[in-house]
Amino acid sequence: MPKIKINGNEVEVPQGSTIIQAFKATGVEICHYCWHPGLSVAGVCRLCMVQIEGMPKLQIACNTEVKEGMVINNTSDVVKETVRWGLDFHLINHPLDCPICDQAGECGLQDQYMKFGQYDPEMAENKVKKHKVVDLGPTVVLDSERCILCSRCVRFTDEVSKTNELGIFNRGDRCEIGTVAGKPLANNYSLNTVDICPVGALTSKDFRFRQRVWYLKEADSICPGCSTGCNVKVNYNEEGLWRIRPRENKEVNGHWMCDVGRDSYKFVNLKNRLVAGKVGQRGSWQEVTATDAARSAGLKLRETVAQHGPDSVALVVTGQYTNEEYHRLFTFFTVNLESNNIFHWMNNPETTKDFDGLLFRGDRNPNTKGVVDALGSFALKAKWEDLQSQLSSRKIKVVVVAGPENQAVFPDMTEKITFFAQAESMIWLTAGQSEALNQTGAETWQIPLKTYIEKSGSFTNVQGKVQTFKVGTTIVAQAFTLSEVVELFSGQELNWNLRPHSLGGVKTNYSIANRGAL
Amino acid sequence: MSLVKRPTASAEWFLPGILAGMWFTLRKMVFNIFHQSKMETLNYPEQKYEYGPRFKGNHVLTVKKDGSIRCTACMLCATNCPAQCIKITAAESTDPTVEKYPIAYEIDVLRCVFCGFCEEACPVDAIRMGPEWQTAALNGSKFTYDIQQLAYRPQLKGGIVSVLDDHERHGAGI
Ligand code: SF4
Ligand code: SF4
Ligand code: SF4
Ligand code: SF4
Ligand code: FES
Repeated sequence: MPKIKINGNEVEVPQGSTIIQAFKATGVEICHYCWHPGLSVAGVCRLCMVQIEGMPKLQIACNTEVKEGMVINNTSDVVKETVRWGLDFHLINHPLDCPICDQAGECGLQDQYMKFGQYDPEMAENKVKKHKVVDLGPTVVLDSERCILCSRCVRFTDEVSKTNELGIFNRGDRCEIGTVAGKPLANNYSLNTVDICPVGALTSKDFRFRQRVWYLKEADSICPGCSTGCNVKVNYNEEGLWRIRPRENKEVNGHWMCDVGRDSYKFVNLKNRLVAGKVGQRGSWQEVTATDAARSAGLKLRETVAQHGPDSVALVVTGQYTNEEYHRLFTFFTVNLESNNIFHWMNNPETTKDFDGLLFRGDRNPNTKGVVDALGSFALKAKWEDLQSQLSSRKIKVVVVAGPENQAVFPDMTEKITFFAQAESMIWLTAGQSEALNQTGAETWQIPLKTYIEKSGSFTNVQGKVQTFKVGTTIVAQAFTLSEVVELFSGQELNWNLRPHSLGGVKTNYSIANRGAL
Repeated sequence: MSLVKRPTASAEWFLPGILAGMWFTLRKMVFNIFHQSKMETLNYPEQKYEYGPRFKGNHVLTVKKDGSIRCTACMLCATNCPAQCIKITAAESTDPTVEKYPIAYEIDVLRCVFCGFCEEACPVDAIRMGPEWQTAALNGSKFTYDIQQLAYRPQLKGGIVSVLDDHERHGAGI
C-alpha cells in the first residue's frame, strides 16, 4: 500500500489505484466530469488536474496511478487557474439555458462555475448551434448544445448495458452525441445515462419539467421492483414521489438500476392509493377510518375462529412486505389464532428464475426470499391447492389477503380476487385501489397499508442479503404497516402518539379552503 | 416609570387653538369651492392617481412578439418569492425552440407582499410589476391571478412585450 500526500495530509491507498480514486477514498474534493467510478477512464474533460511534485506539468488525476511517496495537491493557484480555463473552454459553446434545463440545481457545470467561474467570457465568436430536444428513444431526450462530450453515456452503453446505441458523431466543435438511424436508445438501463450525464444534455422524459430538483427532498430506500433489491434514493415533496435514482452498493447494484424499477414510485402516489378503510360488498362501500376497519375486521376474525375453529380462516401473503411484518403476521396467525392456513401467492412462477444478466429479475417481488424463509421458520407447509380445495368446499370462512402494493406486476389480480371471494368474508390489506373488488360478493374489509417508502423494515434479496430501509415520507396518513394491523386485529391499541390519526391527517387551512365562498 | 403631563395654565386656553383650526378649514373649503382645479385631493373613485411605471403594483406577465407567453417556467420567481405565493405548472411545448412553458401560472395576490423579488429573479423579463394598484374584488377567489389575468387582462391592451427576444438573441450568436 503506497503512502502518498494529498494536499499536505499523508494517506495510504491501495496499490494500483488512480489519484482520483485516492482523492475519493479520502474524501478530498476534486472536480471531474468524464471519470465515473463505474466506467472506464476516458480522460477527456481535463478538469481533474493535479500538481505532482517533481513533474513539470499538471497531470489528470483520473488516469495517473499513485506511486509510493507521491506529493499531490489540487489547491495550488496553478491548478485553480488551469481548471478555470478548462471550464471556460467547456462553456464556449454551451447555451447556458439553465432556466429551462432540468439539470439546474444538480449540474456539474453550475457547481464548478460557482467555484471556479470565469465570470467574464472571453470568446468573441458566435456559439456553435446544435440540435436541441432530440428524441433519443422512449425514455431519454438529448440536447446536444448542453453536452460537454464527456462520453460517459457512450461508455455506459458500451460497457454496462452493452447495447452500443450511443456514439459521438462529427468532428471538432461539431461533435454531437447521437444514435445510429433506426436504432433508438431503448434498453432497460437507458435512464442511467441521464443520471451519469454531468450536465443537462440527457434528460428523462418521465421527470422532465415536472419539478425543480431543489424543491425535492431525498430519502434512501430499496427498490421494490424486483428481487434484486437495488439500493435507491427517492426524491419526494409534499405532493408525493417524483423519481427514483440508484444509490451505490457494490455488492448489489453497483451504480445502476433498471428503468422498470424507476417506475416504482408511481403506485405510491396518492391518486393510486386506498386512503381510508372501506367495508362492504359488490361495490357498495361504506367508508370508515382505517382503524375502525381494522378493529371490526379483527373482531370478525376472532369470532370466526371461536365459532368454527382455527381452520376456518386463511392468510394469503405476497412477497412485497418486510421481514418484520411477516414475522408479526405469522406469529399472530400461528400463535394467537392457532391456524396454519398460510399461503404464498406467487404472481409469476414461470418467470421467477429469469435474469437479464445485469440487474433485472423475473421475480417482481422485493422479498420473495423473505416470505419463503419466514414460512420455513414457522414450519408452514400449506400448498396453494389446499387453499383451492378448502375455498371451494367452503371450509374457509374468512380469508385475509396481504395483497401486492405494486399491483402492476400481478397480472392475475382480477382472477385471484374472484377466487378469494369464494369465502364468505375477505379482509383485503393493500396499499392501492383494486377495481376487481367492486364485483365480488364476499363481505369485504379494505384496509389501507403503507408502501415501502412509508415504513421501516428489511427485504431479503435474491442473494439472501438482508437490506434494511427507513421511513422516507408519509403519503397516506391513515395507512398501517402489517404489524400495526395485526396489533389492531388482536384487539390491542396502537401507540397513537407515534402516528397521525385524524381523518386525512392533514390540517386544513380554512382561510384558503373557503376562498371564494364569500 | 410613567410620565404624566400636568395640565398647565396655558393648556386651559384651548379655545383660541380650536378657533384657529376651524378658521383654517373654513378658509381652505371656501378656496376649494372656487378653485376646484387647484385642489390637492382626488375625488376617488371617479378620479384615480397614476403611479410611475416603476411602481411595484399588480404583476404583469409579458408576452413575446407573437403574443404567446414569455415565461419559460424556470420557477426562479417562485423560488425567490418570500411569501411563496407563486405556483407554476410547467409543461413541454410542442415548439422545440420554446421547449418549456407554463400551462398554469398563479399568484395568490393576498399573500403577495409586493416586494418585487419575482421581477428581480426572472432571467427573461417575463414578469414585471406594473403601475396598477387597485386589487379590490368582491369574491375571495378573484385574488388568485392566473395567466389570463396576469398577461392578457383588458388594461394591458393585448399584452406587454418582453425586452428579451430569443430569436434576436440567437441571431446575435448567443
Ligand atoms: S447543463 Fe447545467 S449549466 Fe448547462 S444549462 Fe443545464 S443546468 Fe445550466
Ligand atoms: S450527453 Fe451527457 S453524458 Fe453524454 S457525452 Fe454529453 S455530457 Fe457526457
Ligand atoms: S412581489 Fe414578492 S411576494 Fe409578490 S409574488 Fe413577487 S416575489 Fe412573491
Ligand atoms: S416569470 Fe420569469 S422567473 Fe418566473 S418562471 Fe417565468 S421565466 Fe422564470
Ligand atoms: S475526469 Fe479526469 S479528465 Fe475528465
